[in-house]
Amino acid sequence: MTSFQRWAFCLTVPAALLTLCLYVLPILQVLALSFTEPTFGIGNYVALFQNAAIGRVVRTTVFVSAVTTALTIVMSYAVAFALVHMPPAQRRVALFMVMVPFWISVLVRAFAWITILRRNGVLNSALVGSGAVGEPLELVYNQFGVIVGMVHYMMPFAIMLLYANLSEIDHRIIQAARSLGARPVTIFFRVWVPLSMPGLAIASLFIVIFSLGFLVTPAILGAGRVLMVAEYISVQISSTLRWGVATALSTMLLLVVGALIALAMRSPALRAAFEGGRK
Amino acid sequence: MTPRTRRLLERALPKLLAWLLLAFLFVPVLVVIPVALTDRDYLSLPNNGISFDHFAALANWRAGWMPSILTSLGIAVASSIVATGVSAAFAMGAWVYVGRWPTILRIVLLSPLIVPPIIYAVGMVRLWSKLGLLDTWLGVTIVHVILAIPLAVLAIGASLSNLDPRLVQAARSLGARPATIFGRVILPNIVPGTVAGAILAFIVSWDEITVTLFITSRGIVTLPRKIWTSIADAVDPALAAIATVMLAVTIVGLILRMTVWERIAQRRS
Repeated sequence: MTSFQRWAFCLTVPAALLTLCLYVLPILQVLALSFTEPTFGIGNYVALFQNAAIGRVVRTTVFVSAVTTALTIVMSYAVAFALVHMPPAQRRVALFMVMVPFWISVLVRAFAWITILRRNGVLNSALVGSGAVGEPLELVYNQFGVIVGMVHYMMPFAIMLLYANLSEIDHRIIQAARSLGARPVTIFFRVWVPLSMPGLAIASLFIVIFSLGFLVTPAILGAGRVLMVAEYISVQISSTLRWGVATALSTMLLLVVGALIALAMRSPALRAAFEGGRK
Repeated sequence: MTPRTRRLLERALPKLLAWLLLAFLFVPVLVVIPVALTDRDYLSLPNNGISFDHFAALANWRAGWMPSILTSLGIAVASSIVATGVSAAFAMGAWVYVGRWPTILRIVLLSPLIVPPIIYAVGMVRLWSKLGLLDTWLGVTIVHVILAIPLAVLAIGASLSNLDPRLVQAARSLGARPATIFGRVILPNIVPGTVAGAILAFIVSWDEITVTLFITSRGIVTLPRKIWTSIADAVDPALAAIATVMLAVTIVGLILRMTVWERIAQRRS
């Protein structure tokens, strides 16, 4: 190793020490605690599978995450597809409408949905006022409200991932399809969609992973009535102090996320994004 | 249906749908503005006129909004400086020292982008309670540094991938010492990425809520934490006022970025 390379190596050390000691180790400790708290063994994991309340929380989480991902992907694809076809001036306005919610705090967005969806919120006032419905609708503090908030949170991520993917598709392929007489609907389903499969897969994986561990929006828009895994863990840590259950559930979440990532890493594009840095 | 109307439908409908979806993204966020101007002291649209009282309440020290803003600013500045320094050092080192170590380390550094923050939160409560760092400035700042590193590394790394390695070779062949090469050849060339990294790190810390929620209680109240408790406790229009301020800052920031970006692109071409 030359002295220049030794210097380079030393420059990577502070980041390594920080993350190893204050990120990796605390997480490893979570994993360890799941086997030792309160007693040594796999009791916590047995409890996870036997406890009806946890079963309900897991089912809710899987259901809400699945619906959120499906809705987010379909809606984001529609927006990304339109973005690719917009003239530059329109696209700038559209991208602005995507970026503002992307950069605004998740809390502000959850709060905005509360003011809209509450029993006497903006939407219900409008609906009752116009006579469209007799009674205010229950739009929030239930699964509907949580899913609306989560889809709204996830869409900007998905739109940007899908837009980047769609922009890379060679337009000459589309022109070729058109010149061979394919109709727009055919071109969409038989050319665009198959070519954007890698983007769709990566965007879906990210949304699933974000959804499964999401605390803030489900907690605020569900108000304890739609209990998902992250909020359940948070209750175990802060009120009931059941560290064993909390850490075992965290471990399971980490395993599921890890498995999903391993799946995603089979895609060369994502691997390049993670390991890259030098083209 | 004539072919012409069908063609029109095939073109116009997807476009209309896309703009409706864009409205779904954008319009709900704007609702905080009229609510902030309500003349009532509960969450509602303005009834008999608009009032700026809820904005005035933000300035009232005892309402707690100003202290939490200052707390968040302080922690965000500190963690952004540390995260940027550490990330710039790592990015430069990994750029020169190619091998297995930087590749693995890079994956570890970027992992907070994907690992659910709730898992990290559980780990840090345990560690900080052992070390007596729960509810302290240092405790929150360190956590924010860790969470800000990934975006800073990505931003600085992007800057480095545009740097010509021949520049470094030239400096080396002219006999420059390592410190000179890193400090006076590489670093000046990645200033834009480093600034972007610092801004991203600042925003990560400024917005962070999940882990902060677990490792703070009464001592350190960041702005997101204050918003979180306000949403849970009571629905106070001051919340809409602070949301409006944050929205305004975000929009101004985005417009600034867009115009600056275009000006740079113009100058280059």
